[in-house]
Amino acid sequence: MTDPDRRQFLQGAAGGALGTALVPDLERLAKRWRPRASIRIGIVGSGRQGRAILGELASIEGAQITAVCDVVEGRLKSGLRRVKGAVGFGTHAELLEQGEVDAVVIATPTHAHREVALDAIAAGKHVFCEAPLAHTADDCRAIAEAARGTEQVFAVGYQARSNPIYRLARSFARSGSLRDLIAMRAQYHRKTSWRTPASTPELEKALNWKLDPALSLGLMGEFGAHQLDVIHWYLGRYPVSVRGSGTIQVHDDGREMADTIHAALTFDEGEVLDYSATLGNSYEGRYELLVGSMATFKLAWTHGWMFKEADSPTQGWEVYANRQHFHNDAGITLIADATQLASQGKLKEGVGLPNTSLYYALEAFLKSVSEGADVACSAGQGLRTTLVAIEAAQAVAAGSVRAIDPAALKDA
Amino acid sequence: MALRLATTAMGTRFELVLERGERAAGEAALELIELWDQRLSAFRRDSLVARVNREARTAPVRLDEETYGLLETCLAVGRASGGAFDVGLGRQMAARGFRGQEPSACERPAPGAPFALDPERRTVRIARTGAELDLGAIGKGFALDRAADELRAAGVQRALLHGGTSSSIAIGAPPGRSAWGVAVAVAEGRPGATMHLRDASLSVSATHGRVAHGGGHVLDPATGEPTAPGAVVAVTSPSAALADAWATALAVFAARGSEPPTLPPTLTVVLTETPELSAT
Repeated sequence: MTDPDRRQFLQGAAGGALGTALVPDLERLAKRWRPRASIRIGIVGSGRQGRAILGELASIEGAQITAVCDVVEGRLKSGLRRVKGAVGFGTHAELLEQGEVDAVVIATPTHAHREVALDAIAAGKHVFCEAPLAHTADDCRAIAEAARGTEQVFAVGYQARSNPIYRLARSFARSGSLRDLIAMRAQYHRKTSWRTPASTPELEKALNWKLDPALSLGLMGEFGAHQLDVIHWYLGRYPVSVRGSGTIQVHDDGREMADTIHAALTFDEGEVLDYSATLGNSYEGRYELLVGSMATFKLAWTHGWMFKEADSPTQGWEVYANRQHFHNDAGITLIADATQLASQGKLKEGVGLPNTSLYYALEAFLKSVSEGADVACSAGQGLRTTLVAIEAAQAVAAGSVRAIDPAALKDA
Repeated sequence: MALRLATTAMGTRFELVLERGERAAGEAALELIELWDQRLSAFRRDSLVARVNREARTAPVRLDEETYGLLETCLAVGRASGGAFDVGLGRQMAARGFRGQEPSACERPAPGAPFALDPERRTVRIARTGAELDLGAIGKGFALDRAADELRAAGVQRALLHGGTSSSIAIGAPPGRSAWGVAVAVAEGRPGATMHLRDASLSVSATHGRVAHGGGHVLDPATGEPTAPGAVVAVTSPSAALADAWATALAVFAARGSEPPTLPPTLTVVLTETPELSAT
C-alpha cells in the first residue's frame, strides 16, 4: 500500500473549510514497544507484502524471524536475503512441521489464505492473516470458525484499526464531532499496471493472480476492503446494498480484470459510501472521507485532518492548534501534546506518524501474543468486512446491484 | 527502447528507460526506489533514518539486513577516504537549510565515525556526539542498485535508470549499440563529456550543485562547512552506491585541493575538476 503524494493532496484539496491535522501524541508513539520474551515468527509468502512485513519485523527487538516460506524459489531467496538466520521452506506444511515458530504471518495470495490459516491454527500457532481474509465467503467462514475454536491469537490485517491517527479520529467521530453523518467517500488511486514480472508463462499466471477474475476480488477486494473496514469500524454498521461497475480504461493489455471501478454502498439510514479505485491515475492517492453536519474527517493513512463547519462549537483543545494550509484555506493542526512540542520547535506542517501503518498492525499483533492484549481486528470483524467486500466485488464484476443480507453478516 | 517510467523519490525524479513489454519489471524496480525513499529519507518522520536519529543515541536500534549492509558500506568508505565521506552530518545539513528548516548555527562535527554497528545483534548506535544520520550522499545510488537487481532478476537485459541525473546505472546496452551514452554537465556554458556505460553506474558530485543559504550541498566533514564551489568529480563503478559515496568523497578532496587516497580497484574516476583559485 503506497502513501498518497501529500504535496499533490494538499494542492488538490478543494473546498473552503478549515483543516485540522489529526496527530496523536507523537512523542509517546515514537517510543518503541518490545515484547517481554522473544517471539519466534514464521512468514508464509515472501512476495511484496511478505518482504514489507519482514522489513518491519526486523526492526522490532524481540521479534525473531526464524522461518520464511514461499513456493517460488526466487521469492524465497529474496525474502531470506532480508533476514539473518532464518530457515527457508518451500511449503507452509514444511514450515509448520520443521520450523521453530510461535507465530505465523500469512502474506500469501488471498486465495491461498484458507489452507495456510487452517493448518497454522491446527498446529497451535498464533496467526496474523493479511487482509482481505479470503476470496470467497466459504473460505472466510471456514477461517473465522477455526479461529473461534483456538486459544491462540488470531488477527486480521485490516491496518486502520491499529493506526493511531485512525484511532484518534474515531474517538472524535464517536464522541459527536461529526454530529449527523451525511455521506462518505473513499478512493484508491495509483497509476500502475499491477502486474508482477515473471520469468516463465506458468509463473506469469501464478504471480498475476490479482488479475485473474477466477481467483481475485480485484481492486475492491485487495484495496477497497481495507477502506470499507474503516467505515464499518467507525459506524459500527454495515451497508445493506451495493451497486458496482468496472471498466478497463488504461491497461488494455489483454487483461479481463477492470482497472477502474466504482461502487456505491448504501447503509440502512440511507447514507451512501461512494467508492472509486483506479490503476490509471495517482491523484490524491488513498483516503477515506466522512462527511457530517458539524465536521468532515479526511483520513489518508499516514495523515488525517478534521474540517470543522463554521457553526461548529469550538473546543478547548483547539487553543493549541497550529495552522496548516490547504489550497486557499487555513487548516488547523491538532497535536495531543502541542505545548511541549511547540516549545521544542516540533510543530510543523505535515507532521505524520513516526512509524509505518504496517508497523502498528504488527506491533498490535505481537502485543496480543506477548501480553494478551485484545487484537486490533478479530476474525469476526475481518470476516464481516470481507463478506461485504466480496459482495461489492461481485457487484463491480457484474455491473449490478446486490443486496447485503444483515443476517449473513452475523457471527455464527 | 520504447518505455519510459518515472517516480519521484528522495527529493528528485527517478527515470527508467527499458524495452516495451517490460513494464511490470520496471514498476517493480520503481516501487523498490519508493520503498528505499521511505526507509532512508531525511524528510520523513516515519523513515528508518528518522527513527535511528531519534533512538540510537540512547540505545542500539535493530536493522533489517539490507540497511545493515548499507551502513557497513558507509563505514568502509568513510575509513578508506580518511573521513571525507561522512553520513553523520544531518545536523550540519539542516543548519544549512537543506532539510527545509531555517538556517541556524551548528557546531563543527567531532572526529570519528558517526555510528557503530554490532554484527551479532545487527544493530546501530550513534557513536559520535552531535552526529545525525543523513544518507543523501549514498541513498540514490543504493536505491538504484536495488532497482537494478530487481530488473536483472526479472530477466531485463537492457535498461537505463537515473536518479536526479547525478546518479545513473546501465544494464546492457540499447539495441544496435555497445553502451548507453550519458552526458555529464561540468558547468553552465561549458561543453560536457559523454560517458559510455554498459553494466556500470556513473555518479557525478559537483560542489556547484544545490545551494541553500550560502554554500553548496557538499559539506566538508572536517569543518561541517560547504566545500569550495567548482569541484566536479564523476566516477564509474559496478555499484551505484559506491560510485555515489566515492564521488562525494573525491569532490571533497578536489575542493580542498589535496590528493585523494587510494581508490578501490572497481572504481574509475572519469572526470575531475578542481575549483580555480581566485586572486585576492
